[in-house]
Amino acid sequence: MNSMQSDTLRPQLGDFNSIICFKAAVVGVEEALGERAARVALISAGRKRGVALVESLGLTGQGADLQVAAAQLGAALGVDGTRLCNVERIVQEGENIRVIVSDTVCMAGEPQGSTRECSFTLGAVHGALEALTGRKLRGKHVESRWRGDADDVFEFTSRV
Amino acid sequence: MSRADQILKEIKTLSSTTPDVEAAAVIDNDGLMIASALGADMDDDAVAAMGAALLGLGERSASELTRGDFEMVMIRGGDGYLMLVRSGHDSVLCVLTSRNAKLGLIFLDVSRAAKEVGRLLG
Repeated sequence: MNSMQSDTLRPQLGDFNSIICFKAAVVGVEEALGERAARVALISAGRKRGVALVESLGLTGQGADLQVAAAQLGAALGVDGTRLCNVERIVQEGENIRVIVSDTVCMAGEPQGSTRECSFTLGAVHGALEALTGRKLRGKHVESRWRGDADDVFEFTSRV
Repeated sequence: MSRADQILKEIKTLSSTTPDVEAAAVIDNDGLMIASALGADMDDDAVAAMGAALLGLGERSASELTRGDFEMVMIRGGDGYLMLVRSGHDSVLCVLTSRNAKLGLIFLDVSRAAKEVGRLLG
């Protein structure tokens, strides 16, 4: 096997691993700690990842042009990026921000009707939006293709 | 006064009027800070994530180990106590006390404050 380029994090296997292992880690943590504690840990980890991503792109506090944000996050997280999820679009509805995503790592392999909600992916988008906009937000996975909705949607509202 | 300000006032009152309560915060179920009266040397985000995760783990432990309805997580360290109680369906009250805290009195005041925070959050 040829070794990878020197800018990868792993010299031989490269920077991507199977989604099967990621999901096994999520489900294993849920079984060990319970869904609630696991959800908090994964959202928190995701938020840190989102903040770090925006920092690495040099976009911290760059404002709330949501079309630009969608393009930048889409590029960083999508097929040409880390492949966490596709960011389809971001729309403002009043005070709320709705992020339409697809192919999230959290929902991969879930059966139709699954009640699972995104945790790490939701957290990553959450952290990225907070870093971009400077707003303190609360996020929720409000619509899911696995529960009959047309899209997977994360909705962000201002905190209390 | 906004709801956030009212909650902050409530936990500041708890800290200032109950002997040995050093700091308090209200956290939501996802580990996000709602109101913080913590010391400047504490990271709000880290405290919120730890508090919500500990409460979730405490609730699961009480259930799995057949200890009845969850009431509180309490951790004792060399310099004091950490207490976590529900302050409504979606929030957690986190309280830090000194080492020599009179726990009976503090339990009463924390319980009262948790109910009031729950009422404010609706």
